[in-house]
Amino acid sequence: MHGLMRYWGVYREFLANAFAEASSYRLHFVLLIVMDQLFYFSSLGSVSFIFDHVNAIGPWERDEFMFFTAFMLAVDHLHMTFISESFWNFSFDLRTGRLDFVLLRPLNTIFSIFFRYIRPATMINFVTPWAFLIHFGRAVDLGVGQWVSVPFLVVASLVFLVSIEILISMLMFWTVEAFGINFLRMQLQNISRWPDFVYRGVARRFFTLVIPVLLVGSAPVKAVLNPEEDASGLLWMLIGLVLIWVAIRFVWKLGLRSYESASS
Amino acid sequence: MAELDKWLATIRISWSRQLAYKLNFLLLVIGPTLVFFFVKYNLWRSIFALEGVTTIQGYDLKAMLHYQIWGMIVGFLAQGFQNMNLAEDIRLGRISSYLVYPFGFWQFHTAGFIAFQALQTLVAFVTLAILRGTGMLDAWNWFGLLQGVGFSLLMGFFWYQVSFVLGLAAFWLEETWVLRVMFVTIAQFMSGAILPLEIYPGWLVRILQWTPFPYLTYVPVKIFMGTWEGSILQGLGTVSVWLVLVGGLSYAVWRRGLRLYTAAGM
Repeated sequence: MHGLMRYWGVYREFLANAFAEASSYRLHFVLLIVMDQLFYFSSLGSVSFIFDHVNAIGPWERDEFMFFTAFMLAVDHLHMTFISESFWNFSFDLRTGRLDFVLLRPLNTIFSIFFRYIRPATMINFVTPWAFLIHFGRAVDLGVGQWVSVPFLVVASLVFLVSIEILISMLMFWTVEAFGINFLRMQLQNISRWPDFVYRGVARRFFTLVIPVLLVGSAPVKAVLNPEEDASGLLWMLIGLVLIWVAIRFVWKLGLRSYESASS
Repeated sequence: MAELDKWLATIRISWSRQLAYKLNFLLLVIGPTLVFFFVKYNLWRSIFALEGVTTIQGYDLKAMLHYQIWGMIVGFLAQGFQNMNLAEDIRLGRISSYLVYPFGFWQFHTAGFIAFQALQTLVAFVTLAILRGTGMLDAWNWFGLLQGVGFSLLMGFFWYQVSFVLGLAAFWLEETWVLRVMFVTIAQFMSGAILPLEIYPGWLVRILQWTPFPYLTYVPVKIFMGTWEGSILQGLGTVSVWLVLVGGLSYAVWRRGLRLYTAAGM
């Protein structure tokens, strides 16, 4: 409990720093808000335009599909607010040797690396994805239990996605220029923004079993829409999460051995 | 002649720099276009297979997949350039050297763009050969291919010029990547890169016709497919006008920005 309070205290400082920095660059702050809104509306618009010409894609009609898209935008919003920036800084820390200082801190290093940078401008944007999530949740007629589970499942999806990304980002230890790994991470996010039944054959198996990004949105949304039949997807997510964190522990140690502490 | 030597030397160096970290080049430049194509290819195959429709707005499955394939080629030729170093050059005060070198800031970055574009053209042709070899693409009309490549390269230059202006915003802004991401998001949505414009509502298409966005993906793809009904010359004229406008804007922004430049770190 004491350890948890200590980490919460540190995180509060991270938050305070982020807000102080955000208030220094006001135009950048506003542009970030506009950027996110453009992304939300173009994502929803693309799906909506497709459904102007078809009645259903696989098992889902317009409202179910739009609910899925809004769910993924809600995950993306939390990701952009609390995590995303840290991945970009991790590549910079590795390249410049600044990771030395992070390693020396009396804190868990993974916490220090991946939860350090927060984007307050994106935080404000929560209204759009959650408004659409609620709107389409009403359209698909969710029950009380389903509504209660939605926020928890959004967080569960975020945790699962971030875990995969942390594992992927460990590859940066072995690349000289790590920018590309961040682009790889973003492309995996792109793949996860469409439901698993869109993909077929080897691609679907690969992105479900090897790099399980298709579980990020599809498993929880299917569990919400059809809890009796599809809740087992959440169990697969849990198993996947445990395996990913075992792999992270192993690869992290290997990575640290390869870290050359540039400029130090 | 001396000027040409400078251009060639810069292009040669930029080519080597682009390829210095090959995995990075693959993930940063080729990866996003390939994944974008992979998602759309799967999506449309699923829509046609799962819904059992035969045509959507005049596209059967084969035509839609060909649209996505040519969209990927246009992505390589016309929308790949990132121009990430430009803003950093300004922010960190590195442009001071360009102000005294006998080779300007725009010239240096444009030579870098030409090297990048040469690489991308190579990637596009290798991709085309693979797609043709695997039977994913039918035999093409060589004249149509030439027209499509020419048009896409012109759009590539337009894309570069817009990226250049956005990078110049670093004279005023701490970070310019936000502007770049905004431009890419708008361009992907409005250019027909995600969906062919026939799928869009009529009112939106009518608005888009007044913008350069359809020329970024939709028009070159249609030229490649041999289904573009408009005049290519008129298209080239329209793009040229936009290019001149953006070029003029970048010149004006550069002049104004230089007045604010404080040469940080010097």
